[in-house]
Amino acid sequence: MSAARGKHERLLNGPLTDGLPSIVAAAHELKSPLVLVRQLSLMLEDGNVPINEQKRMLRQISLTSERALRLTSDLTRSVRLADALFTLEPVNPQQLCEDIIRELEPLFSAHNRDVKLVPRKHPLLLVANRDLLRRIIVNFSDNALHYAEGNATVEIRIGLLDKGNIIRLSVRDYGPALSVDVFKSLRNKLAHAPTSIHARPQSSGLGLYIAGQFANVMNGKIGVTRHNDGATFYVDLQASRQLSLL
Amino acid sequence: MNAPSILIVEDDEWLAEQHSRVLTKVGYKATIVPHALAAIQAIDIVHPDAIILDVLLTGSTAFALLHELQSYGDTGDIPIILCTNLASELSIDDLKLYGVRQILDKTTMTPSDLILALKSVLL
Repeated sequence: MSAARGKHERLLNGPLTDGLPSIVAAAHELKSPLVLVRQLSLMLEDGNVPINEQKRMLRQISLTSERALRLTSDLTRSVRLADALFTLEPVNPQQLCEDIIRELEPLFSAHNRDVKLVPRKHPLLLVANRDLLRRIIVNFSDNALHYAEGNATVEIRIGLLDKGNIIRLSVRDYGPALSVDVFKSLRNKLAHAPTSIHARPQSSGLGLYIAGQFANVMNGKIGVTRHNDGATFYVDLQASRQLSLL
Repeated sequence: MNAPSILIVEDDEWLAEQHSRVLTKVGYKATIVPHALAAIQAIDIVHPDAIILDVLLTGSTAFALLHELQSYGDTGDIPIILCTNLASELSIDDLKLYGVRQILDKTTMTPSDLILALKSVLL
């Protein structure tokens, strides 16, 4: 009982790095979609909006609500990770990513952006919980959508590392360019010191925290590579031995 | 008389579009940029009469932009309206020196509050 209370206290007051996502971080992340939904609703209530604009605004309301609901669902799942059993099984990442792209296509399309899977010649299998891995990649893709500029395409890639023992799923966005000086300084820091995973400046990092928790449960890890025109977020997972059966 | 030019600095694409929709409806000319760097570039082109500025932006925050604007004579006088989720943590008295004339709380404001704020700073 006391352990449960301790958990609750940390959930309410603790910072994100304290082991559990704080209520403050969750509230911060949920404010933005709620603000948008409210502003659009107030405008529609006010009337005098052309019918084509009304349709666009209603679409934005539904897609924004879905994003917020995804976050709440991920948050709930992340807090209950310790109490739940997650089956790890061979997962075909190509098939999973294709499903995710179908799921996210309406959201990307509404933003006039595109998300695509960079095709692989040879099929791969990794060991994961399909639902948790889906949530990680959706989270990365959603993040990439937010930071991509113009109508740049977000790319999902599947690669092999460590002589084929590790499979990396990565999501590349093309966001604001860093200045040459900032990029050199960043590259220097990355080369000489171990770095933790940080979210973009205005984010609480809650989405990445949750993705990291999900990866841990699957004996994997997440990471980021910064580019001078965006970033790549990735998750590394064990390759399945059943690969040889394919 | 030309329509007043308003620069909207907001990285939530659809919220920026909504602000623009509200302003355009009452005759303002709105330009949207997603971050501070783009704002600095846009200011030289659109010569805004006022700036609506989100605080937490991709890249530099609004405060870096406020410092930059204050460092030039021709941009230091542009009235700024901060439009933010962090309104409760900011004080207008602390920010007046940086050209901030009003702070709007995104979580409680209505579309008409944006117009009222602009009218008051453009008097």
